[in-house]
Amino acid sequence: MRGIMKMKKTHQIQVAVNGEAYTCLISSKTTLLELLRDDLDLTGTKEGCDEGDCGACSVILNGKLVNSCLVLAVEADDGEITTIEGLDRGDALNPIQAAFVDSGAVQCGFCTPGMIMTTKAMLDEIPDPSEEQIKHYLAGNLCRCSGYVKIMDAVKSSIKRSE
Amino acid sequence: MDGYTSVGKRVPQRDAVVKVKGSAIFTKDIKLKGMLHGKMLRSPLPHARILNIDVSRAEKLKGVRAILTYKDTPQIKFSISPTWADKLPLESEKVRYVGDEIAAVAAVDEDTAMEALDLIHVDFEELPAVYDPSEAMKPGAPIIHDAFENNIARVINMECGDIEKGFAGSDLILEETFTTQAQSHSPIETHCCVATCEPNGQITVWANSQAPHSLRQRLSYALGVDASKIHVITPFIGGGFGSKIDLEPSQAACVLLSRKSGNPVRISNTRQEQYMFTRLRHPTIEKMRIGVNRGGKIIAKEARVVMDNGAYNSHGPAVLSYNNVMFSTLYRVENIKYEGYLVYTNKNWGGACRGYGDPQVTFAQESLLDMIAEQLKMDPIELRLKNANNPDEVTANKVFITSCGLKETLKEARDAADWAEKKVNKPRHRGIGMASMIYTGGGSIGSGSNYSGATVQVNADGTIHLMAGAVDIGQGSNTVLAQMAAEILGVDPDNIRLTTADTDVTLPCMGTFGSRVTLCAGNAVFQAANEVKKKLLEEAAEMLEANKEDLEINEKRIFVKGSPGVSVTFAQVASAVHYKKRKTLIGHGYYNGPEVVPKDFDPVSYRGYPSPAMVFGTHIAEVEVDPETGRVDVVNFVAAHDLGKAINPLLAEGQIEGGVVQGIGWALTEEVKFENGRILNPSFHDYKIFTIEDAPKISAILIEPIDPNGPFGAKGIGECAMVPTAPAVVNAIYDAVGVRIKDLPATPEKICKALKEKSTS
Repeated sequence: MRGIMKMKKTHQIQVAVNGEAYTCLISSKTTLLELLRDDLDLTGTKEGCDEGDCGACSVILNGKLVNSCLVLAVEADDGEITTIEGLDRGDALNPIQAAFVDSGAVQCGFCTPGMIMTTKAMLDEIPDPSEEQIKHYLAGNLCRCSGYVKIMDAVKSSIKRSE
Repeated sequence: MDGYTSVGKRVPQRDAVVKVKGSAIFTKDIKLKGMLHGKMLRSPLPHARILNIDVSRAEKLKGVRAILTYKDTPQIKFSISPTWADKLPLESEKVRYVGDEIAAVAAVDEDTAMEALDLIHVDFEELPAVYDPSEAMKPGAPIIHDAFENNIARVINMECGDIEKGFAGSDLILEETFTTQAQSHSPIETHCCVATCEPNGQITVWANSQAPHSLRQRLSYALGVDASKIHVITPFIGGGFGSKIDLEPSQAACVLLSRKSGNPVRISNTRQEQYMFTRLRHPTIEKMRIGVNRGGKIIAKEARVVMDNGAYNSHGPAVLSYNNVMFSTLYRVENIKYEGYLVYTNKNWGGACRGYGDPQVTFAQESLLDMIAEQLKMDPIELRLKNANNPDEVTANKVFITSCGLKETLKEARDAADWAEKKVNKPRHRGIGMASMIYTGGGSIGSGSNYSGATVQVNADGTIHLMAGAVDIGQGSNTVLAQMAAEILGVDPDNIRLTTADTDVTLPCMGTFGSRVTLCAGNAVFQAANEVKKKLLEEAAEMLEANKEDLEINEKRIFVKGSPGVSVTFAQVASAVHYKKRKTLIGHGYYNGPEVVPKDFDPVSYRGYPSPAMVFGTHIAEVEVDPETGRVDVVNFVAAHDLGKAINPLLAEGQIEGGVVQGIGWALTEEVKFENGRILNPSFHDYKIFTIEDAPKISAILIEPIDPNGPFGAKGIGECAMVPTAPAVVNAIYDAVGVRIKDLPATPEKICKALKEKSTS
């Protein structure tokens, strides 16, 4: 096996991810998604399209839901980021996570982290959303397995659990 | 009711916790030391001869570690079966579609690999291309594969009874032509493969494959490497739907690149590559004729199908067979004729896609029957009931039907959808439509085998380990198989440790497709768990000085019936067996069914196509059509499915709901668009799959006749809900606004055009 040296990283940024501070060396074109997955080894955030269409890469940046594939890491400098790994507390699942498990809303699980992050961002903003609001908020998260029926059940159940 | 403690329970997926935490490992989450990134060089032309490939400039690029052309391969053509092999991992003489694989590069990062691709120079002699299968079949059309005259990859002719006499004796005959379009599976996770090669030649592959054991066989075949040197592991998969069954040329390239470079290599598709260069649903032209008597009994039916194979075979020959068998087996009909042509064209190739040829022919048959019902002034559901299959029957085309809940699905869907009321009292521009289906509920023996294996091991400390080859692609087979083993062993499913889809550890399983895993892998687990249970009871009987027949298991404790105080734990039995008796406690199961293959099974016409069990269903769609825009909203949907004993109703509903939404997408919005062989819409933005805003309310109804061939009476469900969905929707559109779309998808443009034509005629 031959060794490899990756390309030169020229920018230094500070980020706080799930409450932990990191100093990272990245290139100008590194996306926030790449930073999380490849540099910080937080692979819970998924890449579905890398062009902002599917929501699999959804994370919360400075209190706002973003598609991390569309955010350059340099834009997240000094930022606070929450990923799926930041939701549970050790053994105990976050109420949204628990609702997704119990409602049968998880099939292949690939859209799940993004779907849960979007649900969290929505409930942080609107604690008691209507069905129309839920549909509108989650419209940017594609799921190919579930037909969304049990995802809707899970989100509604999350609202009850959070009360 | 049936006394089961695990089977039949609505338990969440056992993998759901790691998935919601984001700690479930998918293939692209795997990072190995020194891992290089691979990219494929693909043809920009739809049809051309390769004159020369020059990699010299690419080789000099800093960071490039290996480049492959066909010269680095044994040049063995492959497909899902050697009989149909027509594809090289890297083409040497010709390219046959935009995207055809020519070379592969591994470099220290993706950017360098892509730069290297630009430095590879290929000289082509462009050839005339053909995109329409009807044109490709005509004499004089460009020949895509030299061995295939008129570009016809396969012909299936099947006849039962006396078709001419049947039509002559019919009171009403209708004939129509329907066309269906290419659909893309669009799993949210793209194809990904990681391969390493040890100096001694041992290869390890992590791939998001629905069939790791088959992948191992096919890699062995195509690369000329002994299968014993290849270890394939499937991590969690982000959706398959049939797209992840085949050996992909990029997987073969990944292995060869790792061998050539000496480093691990990863090849991962971008979303654009996923749309342009992975399999599609075969488009079809279905010409169908059905004759009925005045009472609505189908006397004769005939189909002539042209199926667009694309550039290479993949599953095409088998998909054409399923198109035939599903047409011929649904409903009790004596006089049947099927003529099917699988035709090569210079486009991205078709493969296994949820429903496997069945959605295409069902769209035609169920639309045509709806038209017949209208002319007979007969209720469409009554028409189906009149012709419905019954349990324990052999059809005219010699297919064995064991359990059959078709009539129940028709009746229960009808009641749940409020059919009678809605047919008569409906607001303007609203309509209701139905369609029924049949599919295999346990895979099939069509390719010669239908195998799944499992091992249940009780360790020295009493813990239980279930090892099965079957792959969970998100449908929940891990959970269901553990429930079955738990039921037999009298334990909680959480007590069972599970390893699946690892060719070094788990017994072979043909793969997750054909809706076969619940029945086939389930039967293997059933055998394995019972074998180890027998051994446990024998040992416990000796320890308790009791008769084996008097023992019961509950919560990992074996006790004498009626004397719960007299017991031993699994741990005590296992410990005694391992340490005192110096034996092990392992049970094996291997299912390769059905056991009895009819003597006159014909593998060419697939007459007598034995599946261990068939499954049935009925869909009812309620739609609202906007006559100004042609937009269709599905306002309600009922899907009733016969799946035998539902091992886990929660997960079964999930399969039905997901299949329905994919089916509605195929009916209304999804279409892979080609122009001169190039895909125009290779993104989620332009290939429209449903979002949560589009998805309707769905009532999933489970009909559970106990099947003699299934474990606990269970059959499959995975693909079924994709099959009758489109005709149910299109029939509802007709009911709403009086226009019949015979050419999927039923886009707003087509509906507006049809409405305009209707008003002017």
